[in-house]
Amino acid sequence: MEASTIIYSTAAVIGTIIVAFIISIWLPGIERKFVQARIQQRIGPPISSPGIMAPLKFFFKETINPNSPLPRLYNALPLGGIIIVFFILLFLIPEMYFLGALTSIIAIVGLLKIEEVIYVFMGSFSRSIMSLSMPFPDIIKGAAHPDIKRSFLEDLSSLRAFRLIAFGSFPLYIALFVPVAMAGSIFLGDIVLYQQLNGPVLFSVAGILGAIVFFIGYMILLNEYPFAILKTKADVIEGPYMEYAAKYRSYTYLTRGFLMFTLSALFSVLFLGIPPNILSWGILVNILVAILFPILSAIMSAFSPIFTFKQFYPVAAGVSILGVLAILATFV
Amino acid sequence: MDGKKKSSGQNVIETEITMGPVHPAALEPYRVRLFVEDEIVKDAEITVGVNHRGIERIMEGLPVEKANSLTEKICGICSNVHIWNSVMVAEKGLEIEIPERASYIRVIMGELERLHSHLLYLAHGNEVLGHETFAMRIFYIRETVMELLRMIGGNRVQYGVSIIGGVRPRCELDEMRIQKIKEGMDFIEEKVAEFADRFVSDPMVMSRITGVCPIPKKEALRLAVSGPTLRATGVDMDLRRDMECYDPFDFDVITLEGGDVKANLLMRVLEIPESVKIIRQAIKNLPGGPITDRTWEMQDTGVIKSYVEAARGRLYHSYRLEDDRVRGSIVRTPSMSNIGAMQYACIGHHITDAQLGIVQCDPCFTCTDRAIQIIKL
Amino acid sequence: MSLKSYSRARAVHVMLVYTGGCNGCDIEIVNSILSPKYDAEQYKIFLTWNPREADVLVVTGPVTKFNEEPLKKIYNAIPEPKAVIAAGACALMGGVYKNIHGDIPSEEIMGPVDKIIPVDARVPGCAVRPEDVLSGAVAALPKLLEAK
Repeated sequence: MEASTIIYSTAAVIGTIIVAFIISIWLPGIERKFVQARIQQRIGPPISSPGIMAPLKFFFKETINPNSPLPRLYNALPLGGIIIVFFILLFLIPEMYFLGALTSIIAIVGLLKIEEVIYVFMGSFSRSIMSLSMPFPDIIKGAAHPDIKRSFLEDLSSLRAFRLIAFGSFPLYIALFVPVAMAGSIFLGDIVLYQQLNGPVLFSVAGILGAIVFFIGYMILLNEYPFAILKTKADVIEGPYMEYAAKYRSYTYLTRGFLMFTLSALFSVLFLGIPPNILSWGILVNILVAILFPILSAIMSAFSPIFTFKQFYPVAAGVSILGVLAILATFV
Repeated sequence: MDGKKKSSGQNVIETEITMGPVHPAALEPYRVRLFVEDEIVKDAEITVGVNHRGIERIMEGLPVEKANSLTEKICGICSNVHIWNSVMVAEKGLEIEIPERASYIRVIMGELERLHSHLLYLAHGNEVLGHETFAMRIFYIRETVMELLRMIGGNRVQYGVSIIGGVRPRCELDEMRIQKIKEGMDFIEEKVAEFADRFVSDPMVMSRITGVCPIPKKEALRLAVSGPTLRATGVDMDLRRDMECYDPFDFDVITLEGGDVKANLLMRVLEIPESVKIIRQAIKNLPGGPITDRTWEMQDTGVIKSYVEAARGRLYHSYRLEDDRVRGSIVRTPSMSNIGAMQYACIGHHITDAQLGIVQCDPCFTCTDRAIQIIKL
Repeated sequence: MSLKSYSRARAVHVMLVYTGGCNGCDIEIVNSILSPKYDAEQYKIFLTWNPREADVLVVTGPVTKFNEEPLKKIYNAIPEPKAVIAAGACALMGGVYKNIHGDIPSEEIMGPVDKIIPVDARVPGCAVRPEDVLSGAVAALPKLLEAK
């Protein structure tokens, strides 16, 4: 490879990631101000507040030791999360397609799985004062079941994260394999090439079904409101994030925005055939998808209550079946 | 209290999840211990007492007017009904006939308070459901009621309308105020009807609340549930029919079947138009004359008891008058008798629904924390 | 204004702790934060229920005995810089519950709030008005902005 190609590629990768980062910090604000606040007939926060200013503010706060059996590991987890999302985005950029197996669907599925496993660890390492360690004389004479094992709220959300791995993320993974079935290859480079020759996957029956399934999977992975069983305000308050303070909390904020962008980029690679690349006009499509997805999911979450398993299982199962149908439709 | 309905011996309780005293779903400080197995609640225990401030003790030996205005501080949501009932105790004991206009104004205030309490319940219920948009819309409607309350009573929360012998002079309803109330009622009726349509036709909300945390009629009677929570189980019971001041008004007592979260939420939605109906009748037929009768004389009495129907259920006040002073005050609030139902309702349901089961009984733990004596029958 | 203070002014997370008042202030504050009419989010004030996320602690109620320890714990859990707003007559001086019958202190009430944790802004009223709560939050801001 010539030196100029390497410089070009490196510039493209770094530029794309910087653009992705800049876009992603505005997404929570757009979601909050232009969708939820408008639907709720109020003015809402400034667009920069939830995504940019809040992480900045947390960054400048005092670093405290979280109530956790393994405080350092607990604090390191959001960094792990942001690195994983970073790698997913990195493998989506066309300049990196020479990496071979790492730029395949399998690698991305694996990385997303690790992202989910991180929630399980976060939940089991957090020991917030908001539940069990709140001093209150409740085990007294006459109390019911005084000698039972007592657990923290976060244990509950860790359990739920475990279940999400088991069934909640099915829709997303099935949707990822619709373009694979169409292009006949698990490599992102081949999928993009196939779409450049035959038109985007989205403009076929299987593609439309797959896109719907992908969208539901996107909401589940991001814990958007109807599927936010990990951090339901009504029982587990904030779930795995309970003990993050100061800069570690700002990492969790940034991870969320970054994940939103990355999943949208994944969608545009797999369903539109346009990988994120700063050096082509296609990046505009990426940005458009990245803004459209949070808006759609915010509209959906503004009009739905939180799901319990009674609603979650049928929705996840139904959407998964739809995804299987989409894959079958690719063979017809 | 025994929550022994579905929890029989063979159930294995895996762990205990504790919430409170500070928790977003509760708002008020109380502790709930949920004994769960695989996220299904097998038993529940609610511990109250966090809010106990001993109002009855403070009332002991106060002049009756002072004690009456103190009862308002029992609860910030149903403050008017407390002072109303407490004043009625004194009026019963001293045999005071209040002017008809005053009685009408008290009813208007009582019904406005019921509106605001029911709307608050709906908003809070939706918040616990996770439906922020509906909660916001209800809060938007509720602001109209709060403005009316501020206009009549002078304060958004504690208005102090009733005094012994009538109502406070500042609560006189003139033409301007009557006009404002009329406009407010039209607005509320229209908006609540709109909301109700939207609410019952939402499949996701309906699947969340239908059949969740039901309280059967028999259990409701056993647990001495009161108020709209009791009416939602199918028992036709409303003290307003027995209260003298409600005699001139024509209204329906609504009962629903099932006692689940859906029935409870719809109960409040359906009671709002009834309250609007009462307020409309009251301002239409508002009699003239004075609003306060100050010709009463203080005397010693025996123990006097009075019941009224508050927004959440039966409210009981009693005290005796001795040397112009209040002695032996007892307050029994609706949420007190609903605690058993709250514990009962969560059992056998998912842990996210358990909070809903508690909220469906319209808890108000500031009311609840009274000095009580439980007698086992 | 430095970036630090600017970011602090643009995102203020408020946590509410109810310490056994009559519910009046509590509802009014939830109202002011939540309702479309007073919408606190337009003033960059966000509601949170996690002390680790909070900057401003709003305390209502006279602090009953059972609430003293939880209140201290929650206050200690908030990372610096933090501010405390005591809202309502009960939080300021114990209200009608603290000063019973002349000067006989009530044994139920451990408050007022500034006996237990340091208070930076005081919002009067029984019950507080939503407008006053918002201005109280503004009054507590300088402490947050000027902190290191």
